[in-house]
Amino acid sequence: MPRRLKMAEEFEPRIVAFLCKWCSSAGSDLAGVSRMQYPPNVLPITVMCSGSVSPLYILDAFNKGADGVLVSGCHPGDCHYIKGNYYARRRIALVKKLLEFIGLEPQRFQMSWVSAAEGTKYTKIISDFVEDLKPLGPQTKLRRNQ
Amino acid sequence: MVNIEDLRNEARRILKEGKVKYVIGYAKNQNGLMPVPVFVKDPEDVEKLIWDPTCIHNLAKFLSDEKKRKSKEKKPDERPVGIVVKGCDSRAIVVLLQEKYINRDDVHILGISCEGSGVIDEKKLAKTLKGKKAESVDLDEKGDFVVSTKDGKIKVPAEELSAERCLECRANYPVIYDILLGDKTRKKVDAPFQSLDKMESMTEEERWAFWQEQISKCIRCYACRSVCPMCYCDECVVDTINFAVTADTSADEKAGRIKWIEKSPVPSENFVYHLVRAIHLAGRCIDCAECERVCPLDIPLRFLNKKLEKEAKELFGYDAGFDPDEPSLVSSFKDEDPEDFIR
Amino acid sequence: MDKILSKKAFSQWVKMLQSFRIYAPLRDDDIWTYEVVKLPEHIDLDFLTTALSPKKIIFPQKEVFLEFRKTNEDAPEIKEVLPEEDPTIIFGVRPCDAKALTLTDKVFGGDFDDIYYWKRRNHTILVGLACNTPPSPNCFCLSVDGSPHSTDGLDILMTDLGDRYYVESLSKKGDELLNLGKSLFTQPKSTDKKDKDKIQAESRKKIKRQIKDLKKVPPKLMGMWGSPFWDEEAMSCLRCGICTYMCPTCHCFDINDEILSRAPLKGRRVRTWDNCQFPDFTMHSSGHNPRPDKSSRLRQRIMHKFQYFVECYQDYQCTGCGRCISKCPVGIDIIEVLEKVRDYGS
Repeated sequence: MPRRLKMAEEFEPRIVAFLCKWCSSAGSDLAGVSRMQYPPNVLPITVMCSGSVSPLYILDAFNKGADGVLVSGCHPGDCHYIKGNYYARRRIALVKKLLEFIGLEPQRFQMSWVSAAEGTKYTKIISDFVEDLKPLGPQTKLRRNQ
Repeated sequence: MVNIEDLRNEARRILKEGKVKYVIGYAKNQNGLMPVPVFVKDPEDVEKLIWDPTCIHNLAKFLSDEKKRKSKEKKPDERPVGIVVKGCDSRAIVVLLQEKYINRDDVHILGISCEGSGVIDEKKLAKTLKGKKAESVDLDEKGDFVVSTKDGKIKVPAEELSAERCLECRANYPVIYDILLGDKTRKKVDAPFQSLDKMESMTEEERWAFWQEQISKCIRCYACRSVCPMCYCDECVVDTINFAVTADTSADEKAGRIKWIEKSPVPSENFVYHLVRAIHLAGRCIDCAECERVCPLDIPLRFLNKKLEKEAKELFGYDAGFDPDEPSLVSSFKDEDPEDFIR
Repeated sequence: MDKILSKKAFSQWVKMLQSFRIYAPLRDDDIWTYEVVKLPEHIDLDFLTTALSPKKIIFPQKEVFLEFRKTNEDAPEIKEVLPEEDPTIIFGVRPCDAKALTLTDKVFGGDFDDIYYWKRRNHTILVGLACNTPPSPNCFCLSVDGSPHSTDGLDILMTDLGDRYYVESLSKKGDELLNLGKSLFTQPKSTDKKDKDKIQAESRKKIKRQIKDLKKVPPKLMGMWGSPFWDEEAMSCLRCGICTYMCPTCHCFDINDEILSRAPLKGRRVRTWDNCQFPDFTMHSSGHNPRPDKSSRLRQRIMHKFQYFVECYQDYQCTGCGRCISKCPVGIDIIEVLEKVRDYGS
């Protein structure tokens, strides 16, 4: 995603969000339907379950130039597939530790629990994420070069 | 002390009795110090088997070769193979058993203890010898290495010559075996992940500069993947050079196979390959460090895997490769798994 | 022409060559690789064998052929991307690596000139360093029609005489370089020539590994296609691909399109090294793979180097650098394999 920043323009981070269909994606829909205002910097990708998010998706998002990646699923105990979010919790923890280890800024990769009723929480997570990313600037470390 | 004749006698016995198809072990290299893997089929050839601190290879890799060979044969010989393993290698076999990739009765494990000294690191040996050529390396009763050159023998304490991973090894004798040779005393390790300390105390920018430089060197020869016993996938997800095609694979499937990264060995693509491989080895890597040993550009790959081994232990209390009945790290979970990082 | 250059004057000579892009072996921990050198003081010709040969400078692991773009409904615009014609000098080229370039010259030249290869090749001047002692314990250049002081493929050959270099220019390009440093070079005395001949003669004796009667191998290989010999030899092979990537004569490549953006369509066609030891190397789109296992791929490697290439170009496709032997993780030794082939059946 090449972006030419003019001097007057502020950097707008682009976030790729993997949202589980049954909870987080529904929560984001609720935020939309309720006309809640929140930053438009998100590229939402609906997945069936947070447990189905492969580490490859996350690395690929960074490789294609995402400034931030969010994985969001149902609260523990509420997973539509019973256990998927528990597996996600383990796997994402490992991915997060590894990305920090190689020197990627830890604020760039986040995970959240957002239920279908938590439209407000979703908007807060996104707004906070955008605020965290603005001072970091564009993600260049893992991005594929043009 | 390990008596090599005990190993040879056991190998001779299982070959004579037809218990195994062949025995995978270490043999002397006609050209150079480091041994070569040998596949002994004839009971008379067991004299070729050796054991000393130069036996650094992880022979468990050949178990997946054997499985793939059997899957292609119409009437495969179902007998097990004998295999000589050190502590680390035996943990690799445990992981393969955990994942039900092989069955316990596919292997007859000839376990050998490193007796607390471990195996040598070739580079450290070269530095110690300063240009002289080593003809052999042996272990003495006190646990020191005795290096023989043309000019005589030198005694070196094990910690100065052994591989980095041996210094923090938690399995100095095999955790699974049919026979065990050598001293069966668990070495006490106070700081099992200390090799990571230096890197973890670096700042984020220092760590990035380090990894950026190292991963840029990578030429994607895939030797690290080829040598790893746990990388047995028929089709590697990140680079489909092993794309398994059968008579039933449709044209759409072939056309639709996803190309996650380009073939060019540029840093961004190299990172995806190495990071995905590290994550796929989380809870499975047992730190045999073969990946690092074979890398022709000397990239310190071991740290990526060691970091996840440490996190598996500290976050989830998981130890790879000790209990064949334990479920794998990422296909299990505990209610108490940490979630402080989740908003 | 033959000249003498004192070691002290060497970096002064390099300073006079600043209009060229200069490559030399640089050390990173324990590995030597050819890198661009900014300061002449960094050139240290006291090196052993490099991890990768200078082939990667003339035939890089990744190069772009062309770029394409589609802005509207018309056909895509295609732009050829040719290598920059930067005059380049590579210092410290071992005779085996230089000879290897003469072999890849045959493949990339002949009936059809590969423009990408030749643009780089024609702008590169190779300054060799004779091997007074074998850089690797596995050197065997003498057995494959080479030598530690061979001039094949080089523009200049330097022989280390202790405090000075005996510099032989072998081509017009070499003469040019020597002329740029005119005042630094002196005429060789007869003792210099004697010293050089003595050192070169002794360097031949220091090569420990030889293959006797290698010329028996190509005809022998013809009859060994279906032999179980290859299964035995390849038992411990890990199909890691290190032997092929390190080899200075190997030249197989793959061509892929890399899409940079889909809408508007933008991308480039890229050539990368390929490796006959990779399982997918001969995979057909039907799913059939004529070399499905590692024993057929090992057979391919040996036969390509010591039979097919001999038949086509009357040269072994191997210059005895020994990298494949030193780096093979399981100690598969090409010299041993060739000796077994030579003696097979007798």
